[in-house]
Amino acid sequence: MSEKITRRDFLKLTAMGAAATAVMTGCGPMSRYVVRRPYTQMPEYNQTGESTYYASTCRECPAGCGILVRTREGRALTIEGNPNHPVNRGRLCARGLTAQQGLYNPDRVRGPRFQGRGKPTSPPRDLTWEEAVQVVGSALQKPPERIAFLLGLVPDHLFDLVSELTQALGAPPPLRYGALAALDGRTTLLEATRRLFDTPALPYFDLAQAEVTLAFGADFLQAWLSPVTYTRAYGNMRQGNPRRRGELIVFEPRQSLTAGNADRWVPIAPGSEAHVALALGGRVAELRGLPVPEAFRAVSLEEAARVSGIPAAQLEDLAVTFATAERPLALVGGSALTQPNGLVTAQAVLALNALVNNLGQPGGVFLTPAEATPAPLTAVSDLVRRMQAGEIEVLFIHGVNPLFELPAALGFAAALENVPLVISFAPFPDETALQSDYIFPDHSALESFGYQRSLAGADRPAWSASQPVVVPLYNTRATVDVLLAAAQAIGRALPYRDEVDFIQQKILPLLNAGGFYTAPEILTFWSRWLQYGGWWTPAAGLPAPRSPRLPASFGTLTPPPAPAEGQFYLLTYTNHLGDGSGANRPWLQELPDAMTTVTWNTWVEIHPTTAEHLGLKDDDVVRITTPYGAVEASVYRYPAIRPDTIAIPFGQGHTALGRWAEGRGCNPAQILPAATNPAGDPAFIGTTATLMPTGRRRPLARVESKDGVYGEH
Amino acid sequence: MAEERPAKWGLVVDLDRCTGCNACIAACSMENNVPFVGEDEVAYGRALYWIRTQRYWEGEYPAVTPTFQPVMCQQCGNAPCEPVCPVYASVHSEEEQINLAVYNRCVGTRYCANNCPYFARVFNWFDYELPEPMRSYLNPDVTVRRRGVMEKCTFCVQRIVRGRQKARAEGRELRDGEIQPACVQACPAEALVFGDLSDPESRVSQLARSQRRYHLLEELGTLPRVTYLKGVGNHGG
Amino acid sequence: MQVKKPWWQSGGVRIALALVLLILFGGAVSGIYLSQIPPEQPIAFPHKTHVALGAQCTYCHPAAAWGPNAGLPGISKCWGCHQQVQKKSPELEKLAGYVQRNEPIPWVPVAIQPDFVKFNHQPHVQAGIACETCHGPVSQMTVALPQPRQNMGWCLDCHQRMRPNDFVRLSDCATCHY
Repeated sequence: MSEKITRRDFLKLTAMGAAATAVMTGCGPMSRYVVRRPYTQMPEYNQTGESTYYASTCRECPAGCGILVRTREGRALTIEGNPNHPVNRGRLCARGLTAQQGLYNPDRVRGPRFQGRGKPTSPPRDLTWEEAVQVVGSALQKPPERIAFLLGLVPDHLFDLVSELTQALGAPPPLRYGALAALDGRTTLLEATRRLFDTPALPYFDLAQAEVTLAFGADFLQAWLSPVTYTRAYGNMRQGNPRRRGELIVFEPRQSLTAGNADRWVPIAPGSEAHVALALGGRVAELRGLPVPEAFRAVSLEEAARVSGIPAAQLEDLAVTFATAERPLALVGGSALTQPNGLVTAQAVLALNALVNNLGQPGGVFLTPAEATPAPLTAVSDLVRRMQAGEIEVLFIHGVNPLFELPAALGFAAALENVPLVISFAPFPDETALQSDYIFPDHSALESFGYQRSLAGADRPAWSASQPVVVPLYNTRATVDVLLAAAQAIGRALPYRDEVDFIQQKILPLLNAGGFYTAPEILTFWSRWLQYGGWWTPAAGLPAPRSPRLPASFGTLTPPPAPAEGQFYLLTYTNHLGDGSGANRPWLQELPDAMTTVTWNTWVEIHPTTAEHLGLKDDDVVRITTPYGAVEASVYRYPAIRPDTIAIPFGQGHTALGRWAEGRGCNPAQILPAATNPAGDPAFIGTTATLMPTGRRRPLARVESKDGVYGEH
Repeated sequence: MAEERPAKWGLVVDLDRCTGCNACIAACSMENNVPFVGEDEVAYGRALYWIRTQRYWEGEYPAVTPTFQPVMCQQCGNAPCEPVCPVYASVHSEEEQINLAVYNRCVGTRYCANNCPYFARVFNWFDYELPEPMRSYLNPDVTVRRRGVMEKCTFCVQRIVRGRQKARAEGRELRDGEIQPACVQACPAEALVFGDLSDPESRVSQLARSQRRYHLLEELGTLPRVTYLKGVGNHGG
Repeated sequence: MQVKKPWWQSGGVRIALALVLLILFGGAVSGIYLSQIPPEQPIAFPHKTHVALGAQCTYCHPAAAWGPNAGLPGISKCWGCHQQVQKKSPELEKLAGYVQRNEPIPWVPVAIQPDFVKFNHQPHVQAGIACETCHGPVSQMTVALPQPRQNMGWCLDCHQRMRPNDFVRLSDCATCHY
């Protein structure tokens, strides 16, 4: 690797951990003395008994919060927020705070290995990195159009390198996919900004200074683009604004954490968000004395009321509240976009902001720096089709777990069988890695260098830096280094010595980009880059979207289908387990779900009256069936969901990923449709589910009952 | 050397900011070496949360809404847990004005937990072993508790002691906001504020004088050091 | 007429009981003794030689001045002097071996406290307490010897004697236990 890592080539005081548990027992002579192995050469930045902090970037979700990792004697202890980082300002969510349980997870892949797809005929065996580089090298020599890279959601240095590599080879560019983006409807949002503002960029909503906020589906407090940024903004919206306490109104069929914190939750019929947004837009334009744009005439208030199940009087009241507010804001995401009408909804809500003139205003809408768009579900299904047709000879997978995250209906599992060579770079033995031919494990996030270019939660142009906070625990190697070595071995070398050299060359333009620090040359810049945990401009400032040219129509509206008798709308959502990659962190499993307080398992949320109608009680196991499959989960009678809707959280139901994740709950991706909306994101509504009691009962470990749920004991 | 003032540590929980996201629980558990107990033990009501979010449903569909209230040890000035401990493991710290759980004295009678009106104390029913190499992240500043020991929120007293020692070594007074328990430091909504209540100018004192203030079970006369600020509108408090 | 003794007064039982008590007592004594003898050190480091040559304690244990742990010197510190001072001795041969193999020396610290005691050197050094006050006459020791009765009463006794006006703070449980 680089100079930087050999400099930190230190030894640990190994006995500390043993001492912690052994000495506590009081002291027999055997436990009284422990051996300490001091550093052979004490690094000058390290003092025995004192903590050393390293600035890095949280990689638990694509938001890219800045972290300070507290280390002592070469061990990562706690993870704290980086107070200067523009995304999170020193704050962190539960996922980032438990990231060291990933680093020290006992189930990590400890070295390169031949996996043999888990077939008994080809038992796994360990390889050396030289063999691994050879395997990757020969894989890169396949016909370029038959090579495919499937990467995770983060726009990081690996994506940039793979983009260059595929370009040099003439292979198709890498795909970036993640369940989080699909469930957020990010491509839909990007397509909407492209159509309205000519720039495909994720919007930044200045929630902190907004006074009346309408949120359509975006669960910004727990999932969505940047939960910590928006939670901080939410706090300031409530109590940090000297003018008035901000008001929040949320349209969602199922009350998410965001809706639970709202002043008003409007239980809108799934799929009718576009109708409501259009009707509200027309009414707001009228109330503000503007000519009603053609696109907003498509739906009348009465029709929206009929489709959405919200009384017309309430819609009128909301329109008045929004139109007369000093600083109104409308934001959209999540379940409002993963619909056949999602693209209309996205455009209508963004245009609603234009109607009240808040583009580029305090409490309004801004655009984050444009990024290379993540792949929508349609691009992945195209890849699956090519895999199925035998057009892919080698598939590289990094940072994503498609066998778990993709809807099973897409047929990825079957298509994988038709790919002769599958190479996974996963640090954990996840479902996809176990079905690969080879696993060449990357370092875990806290052991690796890197950067993240695009930060949806930053109020300014910013890059976030990663650096190793501990020496790699196992025989892992940075994927960038493996790819560089492989490219060199086959005579297609890229002009980079190693990963650090690649990152340094990529951040070179930042020297003159007006950041809050700079340096005359890269090495000084590099040390500050590592010290501050990234680079950003001194003052906040994002471009305002230009005034949109509203089309005559945002698109055709599909009326949401009414579920037949005994059928329910099926929703899935992400809680603190995120896209499921957090399921092997035991403390995330132990953490109660914010709304239901359930731990360690999957539940299905059913409205109490519906449950009563079906004769279901809490903890009854039901079978949830869609045309694509069936899963079983325990009932949680959830008072804040529409009676015609059921919801299952995403993230559990792993068949791999280690001792704490495996065999726990169910994976709703098994029963989701592969249908997409016009932007290419999933379109869930249109698929309905049936519920069938199984007659069994499995109590959920809920924290809401102090005495536990197992009854007398 | 600057002379030290005894502090009266206090915490303010602004329920209008709190979203119920539970980041505080994660931060607390990782800072204080709190073990995870697994699904069955959680179901028996034996989870070891030092801070928990009480979620209550209010209203009927569709006007139903949850209220979230983070509850941790209230560090009572007049603490019900203290007089019942037969071995003086539950004692009042004169210096920091908080309640202590002295692990090496505790024999596990659980009287203190039974007498705590806030259910703030939790009990180690078992030894919760961490598989290698997970012990590497244990915080060396905090004792790893064993089976049969009562534990609870300490306001991260290890950070208080460290912060004081640092200020003394530098010959200065503590700055307001210099010491932050893990939950306060992590809280994404900035709903938690920690500081010295004996300094009327500190941020926590100013917030604790808010018109929205109240204490949990104030009528019991426990004199809690944790002040809650009511949520406004139809949410919280 | 002979009165039958109860069974517990019979000689055999008494002897057995005495033996059991003796074994328990002996075990306790040897346990305490074992916990007070110095452990085997990888190198029989002669503290007195170094102190006599004028080396300060904080030269090898510098962290005592600024942090909780005094710290143990690494081989680079030892070798910094000893690659010049090449006296022949079997102990120095061992040091040279560790340096050659670039291995840490597996020292066994003797002045240790249980995990639930949080001791910080820095305030004590700052208050002007000499190292010998707690660690004994190190200038006369070869390997460091454990000091007897380094217990809580000993700590409190000293706190009370040295800082009577500050004793409320210095006797607070949270000063050392958390």
